[in-house]
Amino acid sequence: MKTLMIVAFRNLNRQKKRTFLLGGAVAFGILIVTVINGFSGAFSRNVAENMAHLFAGHVFVEASEKTPKGKTLDLIRDDRVILEALAAAGIPADYVAKRSSMNVTLVFEGNKTSQNIFGTDLEGEKYLKERLSFKDGGFELTKAEPRALILSEGVAKKLNAHIGDTILAQLKTVTGQNNVGEFVLSGITQDMGLFSNMLAYAHREYFNQLIDIGPEEYQLFGIMTANLAKSEQVAIRLNAALKERAQVFELPPVVPAPKKAAKADTAKADAVKTDAASTVASETVAAGTSSSSPMGSRYQKLLRLSRKETWEGSKYRVFTINDMISQIEQLVGVLNGVSLGILVTLFLIIMVGIANTFRMIMYERVKEIGTMRALGMHRGSVRTLFLMEASLLAAAGALVGMLLAAIVMLGLSIPNFGTGTFFALLMKNGHLSFSPPLVQSLANLLLVIVMTAMAAYLPARSAAHLEPAAALRTSK
Amino acid sequence: MNRPAVSVFFRAPSFVPTFLMLFFALFISAAATPVFSQDAEVKAILKAIDEMNDFTGRDFTGVFTIVSDKPNEKQSAQQIRMFRRDDKEQFLILIMLPEASKGQGYMKEGDNVWFYDPSSRKFSHTSLKENLNDSEAKSGDFTKRSLLDDYDTTKVEDGNVGKVPVRVITLKAKTNDVSYDIIKLYVRKDRSLVLKQEDFGLSGRLMRTTLYPKYADIGSGKFYPSQMLVVDEINKGEKSQITMTDLSTAKQPDVVFTKAFLEQVN
Repeated sequence: MKTLMIVAFRNLNRQKKRTFLLGGAVAFGILIVTVINGFSGAFSRNVAENMAHLFAGHVFVEASEKTPKGKTLDLIRDDRVILEALAAAGIPADYVAKRSSMNVTLVFEGNKTSQNIFGTDLEGEKYLKERLSFKDGGFELTKAEPRALILSEGVAKKLNAHIGDTILAQLKTVTGQNNVGEFVLSGITQDMGLFSNMLAYAHREYFNQLIDIGPEEYQLFGIMTANLAKSEQVAIRLNAALKERAQVFELPPVVPAPKKAAKADTAKADAVKTDAASTVASETVAAGTSSSSPMGSRYQKLLRLSRKETWEGSKYRVFTINDMISQIEQLVGVLNGVSLGILVTLFLIIMVGIANTFRMIMYERVKEIGTMRALGMHRGSVRTLFLMEASLLAAAGALVGMLLAAIVMLGLSIPNFGTGTFFALLMKNGHLSFSPPLVQSLANLLLVIVMTAMAAYLPARSAAHLEPAAALRTSK
Repeated sequence: MNRPAVSVFFRAPSFVPTFLMLFFALFISAAATPVFSQDAEVKAILKAIDEMNDFTGRDFTGVFTIVSDKPNEKQSAQQIRMFRRDDKEQFLILIMLPEASKGQGYMKEGDNVWFYDPSSRKFSHTSLKENLNDSEAKSGDFTKRSLLDDYDTTKVEDGNVGKVPVRVITLKAKTNDVSYDIIKLYVRKDRSLVLKQEDFGLSGRLMRTTLYPKYADIGSGKFYPSQMLVVDEINKGEKSQITMTDLSTAKQPDVVFTKAFLEQVN
């Protein structure tokens, strides 16, 4: 076998130009596919991290209640039950944010724009203080002004507003009544591009007055976990603890596909083994995260439950940032499918080239094959030699392709594209990031080797079936 | 049945029986305490306004043309046909213009309000508090409302709209189901017709002013505004003029108030 390997390697080395072209085609295919896989691998994680910063949490709790007329109000009136559940579940809340939010129309001197405003604890939200970078004004101004508003530079420019200007905000209360408030522009942050119209901050107390809820009430309880990967486990534990203390919205469990179930089991193994309640919660979360339904994200499904069901008092829903963007997973699946399609198409074309090339190689080496067969080489060894040559070519090409892909990905991740575009949501701090999945890359490598060997099989078989005497008689 | 529109600003009062009754009521109530008399008078006015806008026992339809002006934007026009059946708290609004919105519609049945989009052929939940197709008007402006049920009177003053003497009645919402927390009605003294309405947000700031310069006599002692001017007080320069035509109280087929009608009419 070792001898065959050496001969195969020597044969490839003998025709450097041909080997380079064939290997280059293989490398190019692998390069494209690896870059796509790398991008899709980082895609959902980047979106989740960016959204987590936006909403100040990886895991969230919301509450809904029904009015006497049957309308649904999304409001956390008393968070003691959430805090108790958090403590009971042993969840270290590295960072907790309590926010109200509403989409408003900001009006200033004839200019207007739509803007989401978070009513938050501007003094107490440590993470927000660390994250916001001001171009003008800042927290020293918000401290003194109860109607303070922090806007991004882009929105302030659009309104032509400056620090100290009074901006009108046209909005609706939580029950849908029309209202209007006055904010004093106290901070202008670096432009946040796509996020500009989603990220504005005001004191929660004043904001709550405008949307007609109590000063201690709010709408979104956000928990920032140590890292994104832990958010699903934290959500399961919190859901179970909350369920023991209050009414909780839960999606009906669905039977996950075997592959997904295995994946979910691995990811949630720690929580699932604890007790039955966790198991139920795990099933529920699994039901949601298997977001194959085109009916929207798991969060949207939970929200729809609150519109359909009837209950008394407050009913809670626990969800993660992944639940809010679970449709992204579908997109990642599509991207991976597309990359596999590209790989197969490219290699079908390359296979034709390889099959023709190996047929030519066979005719070129007829005498050589005849000599080897006359010296006692078996038919199987001739076939193996050809297949080994093809496999070596494919493996080398694929490895070079992966190396080139790594260089390309590294190169693409260096430039800072900024956060001022729509694509900022897909990037990591303005940089493209890639995370090629190892298993998929290995599978691609294997697929390429198998396909190349298949392409070379027929010429290899023809070579193996050559009669030594006839082959030696061949004039070429 | 549609009768000629009358200008409530410039035409002499001709609704004598109501006027006399109101006068008689005022005269009788003068004997009581001033607070009681004013309270009773305001209730009577609000009741009359509510009754004017109550079509229980019959249907009500009309074509409303809304012309909206916004600064630095081209004037836009839209036309809707409205059907109301107050007996069952049903209404249906069908958008006829502009072409881009043609076929869209709002339908209210009980407490549910639906919006229909023919392009997606789907119904979605909406609210009477939402603006009608980017105009200053809200779908709730054309539906039955009960000032007596929804609001408490907080202040009554005398004033003028133009040269017409009016009662200025300030109302505060009893419930958060209404669009505005505070409204101020300018009601003609000689008959219970609202000439002007100011809507205030929860913060007490004026958000919208509506003028009712003309009313149409639609029979059975009922008057319905045939012209409205809605002025956005927050976004200066934004206003909508609404003209109501083809007003009728004739009975409509039951199918009109169904989702199927919105689907089929397209």
